[in-house]
Amino acid sequence: MKLKDKYRFIRQNIKKNKARTFMTILATAMGCAFLIVLASIGYGLQQSVVKETLEDQVVTEIQVHGKEVENGFEAMTVADIEKLEKVDHVKAVTRKIQLGQLPTYTIDGYKAETMAVSTHFPSEIASGLKLAEGRLPENPNEVVVGYHFSNTLYMETDEDIYDAETGEVKEEFQFKGEVKDQTITMTVQQDEEGKVTKEIPLKIVGVLEEPGREWMLNQDVYISQEVFHQIEAFTGTAGGEIVVDPENKVTGHLETFDQVNVYAESLESVQGIVDTLDEENYATYSIVSEMKQINTLFTIAKAGLILVGTIALIIASIGIYNTMTMAVTERAPDIGIMKAIGANPKTIKQIFLLESSYIGVIGAIIGTIVAYATSVVVNIGLPLILETAFDEEMPEGLQFSAIPWSLVLIAVTICLVITILSGMRPAKRATQIDVLKAMRREI
Amino acid sequence: MIQIRELSHHFKLGKKDQKVILPVLKDITMEVGKGEIVSVVGKSGSGKSTLLNLISGFIRPTEGDIWIDGVQVSELSEAKFADFRLKHIGFIFQSFQLIPSMTAYQNIELPLILKGEDEKKRQEKVIRLMEKVGLGDFKDHYPSELSGGQQQRVSIARALVLEPTLILADEPTGSLDSETEAEILEIIQKLNRELGITFLIITHDEEVAQTGHRTISIKDGRVMKGGAAI
Ligand SMILES: Nc1ncnc2c1ncn2[C@@H]1O[C@H](COP(=O)(O)OP(=O)(O)O)[C@@H](O)[C@H]1O
Ligand SMILES: [Mg+2]
Repeated sequence: MKLKDKYRFIRQNIKKNKARTFMTILATAMGCAFLIVLASIGYGLQQSVVKETLEDQVVTEIQVHGKEVENGFEAMTVADIEKLEKVDHVKAVTRKIQLGQLPTYTIDGYKAETMAVSTHFPSEIASGLKLAEGRLPENPNEVVVGYHFSNTLYMETDEDIYDAETGEVKEEFQFKGEVKDQTITMTVQQDEEGKVTKEIPLKIVGVLEEPGREWMLNQDVYISQEVFHQIEAFTGTAGGEIVVDPENKVTGHLETFDQVNVYAESLESVQGIVDTLDEENYATYSIVSEMKQINTLFTIAKAGLILVGTIALIIASIGIYNTMTMAVTERAPDIGIMKAIGANPKTIKQIFLLESSYIGVIGAIIGTIVAYATSVVVNIGLPLILETAFDEEMPEGLQFSAIPWSLVLIAVTICLVITILSGMRPAKRATQIDVLKAMRREI
Repeated sequence: MIQIRELSHHFKLGKKDQKVILPVLKDITMEVGKGEIVSVVGKSGSGKSTLLNLISGFIRPTEGDIWIDGVQVSELSEAKFADFRLKHIGFIFQSFQLIPSMTAYQNIELPLILKGEDEKKRQEKVIRLMEKVGLGDFKDHYPSELSGGQQQRVSIARALVLEPTLILADEPTGSLDSETEAEILEIIQKLNRELGITFLIITHDEEVAQTGHRTISIKDGRVMKGGAAI
């Protein structure tokens, strides 16, 4: 029997019982749509989280927190840096040391108190450090400052500079000028009491680019190694530390780094470098490794959601089973006649399997369309609802529901497998119909 | 055409623990030659239909063998028997056995569809056959819109459409009045004469039996006379 004729057959059969078939298709479509929409939340949130995390982040950055030793961590040393620089596909290794005290800075009547950091500019440049304005330091007394440095400057006055309501510095006391090309005076203390201080004049030659994320602040002042050493010499302590236990006082230069970042040549080489560093017992953190974890987590979540959705389809399959069983029973006399004149049991089975697959295919198509529509509504509607309910703005571009082709493929496959499986038994029953009983109308 | 050797059949009745065995056919040996019209006669309940159902493969014999056209059909699997039926045997039933939701045309077309013929060929054959059995004007009529005689003609056309060498007919005129009966019997004789189709006709009516070349009579499940081919 030709496929075309089988198809014509089932079309005729379906026509005879439009309402019942329609309801079954509806149930299947709902199950399929439920599965897709449910899983699409997993896909959508994953996409949003991944996008959010990757956006404006240096994806080739690997932070190295230290070296794992038998009982604890060791800070990164010059030797470590040299070793890291030799690893394949490493573009640059940046290293920063924080000054052991919080200096104050003054620019004509304005004052700031913020971290001073000694950094190795050649490697920073190699890593792709960018300035918002100005240039990089060329001699020891030149500095660059973080993008938010100017926000920390406020007027030196006896008045209360803080706004009682917001807790922020009042408008009129904030620094409004340009910090670039300004000369600032950095004041450091020799000890905790602060009776002896040293003033170092510095020239701001550049301002760093704004950090990638809104909530990140960069207010640091990047000083040269020479200035850092001057301060160490002045305090007589490593790192310019002033709050030290006299017994454990370390003198000389600080030989370890607070913040070491390795930059890979490309995104693809990140994981290889991380693996190499892990082997060498360095404690690392990279966005790529984190993505791997996030993705694993989401894969589990998506699998769970698909499973729940599949249950809905299984419930719908009970409807298909019922419909097909009724169809077989109703058509038993016809099936008997067909078998009598020589219809192969396989042909009869195929006709009924085709009919249940037909329900599955139409259900899956309708379900997919409904799911896409629902997904659009959810993406538009849910943020609005959440915004009104919690009175909080949702992040821009947040996507709750996403339906990639793979999800459609998974859902349609599950839908078809379930419908075919549920049509199996009724189809088998059809082949087992007794010719004589059917012809005597005894079924 | 048909050879039957030592065929016996019994039905099992009742529930599992108290089965009753009902012997229906006992040690039947008979033959039907190519081109013959053979009538099987016997009282109601003598086992005629059971014999035909065994030959058709609707039920399987308890014992004995059946050959049709040199094929030992009693050994065929259900699926193989179905294919064999489709290709080699035409059926005419007392109650016509037409599919009520299909038109006369579609009922006759059904075996061609099952065989996988393409639509153009089907149309030619069906139209030609409908003309031949005098149903040219009833193409789109449903069985319920046709008289008994017309329905039986549809069923004859359906039996003929795949050009079988053998037609099995169980009481083909049992539901028809005597005038229509004569018409149907005439068609059967004509088909035998013109196309050489072998007929095995079951009847309890002596008059119908007279149409055949030969009569096999069955009583209480045994062949009383006429088992051998001429
Ligand atoms: N499926 C069946 N199950 C049990 N007994 C049956 C069955 N079919 C026929 N019989 C019995 O077999 C005997 C012969 O029946 P049948 O072959 O129909 O006779 P006939 O066609 O000659 O009237 C009857 O006694 C009938 O009751
Ligand atoms: Mg009978």
